[in-house]
Amino acid sequence: MSTQHEFFDALLDPARPIPAGLTTWNGSDPAVRFAVYRNNVIVSLIDALADSYPVAQELVGEEFFRAMARLYVDAEPPRSRVLAFYGTSFPDFIEHFPPAASVPYLSDVARLEMLRVRAYHAAECATLPADAIAQSLADVDQLPTSVIRFHPSVRLLRSQYAAASLWAAHQGIEDIATVDPEVAENVLVMRPHVDVEVIRVSASTADFIARLLDGATLGTAVEQANLADFDLRNTLSLLVQKQLISSITTSRGKQP
Amino acid sequence: MSSFTMTQKTTAAALALAFGAALSVTAAPVSAADKMADMEKCFGVALKGKNDCKAGAGTTCAGTSKIDHQGNAWSMVPAGTCTKTASKTSPTGFGQLVEFKKKKA
Repeated sequence: MSTQHEFFDALLDPARPIPAGLTTWNGSDPAVRFAVYRNNVIVSLIDALADSYPVAQELVGEEFFRAMARLYVDAEPPRSRVLAFYGTSFPDFIEHFPPAASVPYLSDVARLEMLRVRAYHAAECATLPADAIAQSLADVDQLPTSVIRFHPSVRLLRSQYAAASLWAAHQGIEDIATVDPEVAENVLVMRPHVDVEVIRVSASTADFIARLLDGATLGTAVEQANLADFDLRNTLSLLVQKQLISSITTSRGKQP
Repeated sequence: MSSFTMTQKTTAAALALAFGAALSVTAAPVSAADKMADMEKCFGVALKGKNDCKAGAGTTCAGTSKIDHQGNAWSMVPAGTCTKTASKTSPTGFGQLVEFKKKKA
């Protein structure tokens, strides 16, 4: 319909004719010039994915990665002008991409990489110092109805695969030879200060944090925890040490 | 109703205890405030590749000389480091070991 839409559609689909009315200053073929533009658009988007998903690229090799990324770019052109977040749905695409089926953990490693980008760009937020947390403990009876809010960068990944260990091995932090990809991992991603941190947590700790992230009260989260393998103290220590708690609110109204 | 209250009381006590322990662990070493004093937020330093020419969406400094191949390469076997990652189906368990730029500390 509009000229802009026509131009946009033609940019992303090489099968379409070039937009009407294009001319060149020196009389060269506008179709050739437009092809350069098309190529730049596609390649820059593929490059953006390679920047955001470096470990995924290392896992399958550049050639495979770029071919896969190209198909994704065709299917999911950017909807936002923020290139850093382009490809948020790329992990889902990978998960359902048949040629990548032999690397079943690829999509979760990619998810972890995007969570790190998201955490990196998350809003700044002051978190509670230890003495402020201690203060909110003063009224013990209020604790079960209290709600914890986390630093905005806190993210959780539940993976059937060893997503964090695979990722860490590609940072030179862990030895790839010792990583069994088939071991499920729960991963906490956060950026309390300057650097993004990636921490593996137990499934029960992940359950607990997931409930709190959903807005459950401390009491509900504790009562729903699988007590067999849940370590409340260690979990709270983690939240306190990493300074992930931005507020603890009591809902006095609900207390009988 | 009273059993509910009991549960609530037990939960409250468990939470208070666990929080107390968590805080005592943290209180001992270098206080958070001291640690923060050594650091400063450095704005404008983006992740690699996120704020250089590639990140200016639509800018053309990236890719002008690169011709991307059409998407037919995916029909081959993924050829990256996954071959060096443990695999239950592989006869060797995994291929040759690590070749990453190691910076073990």
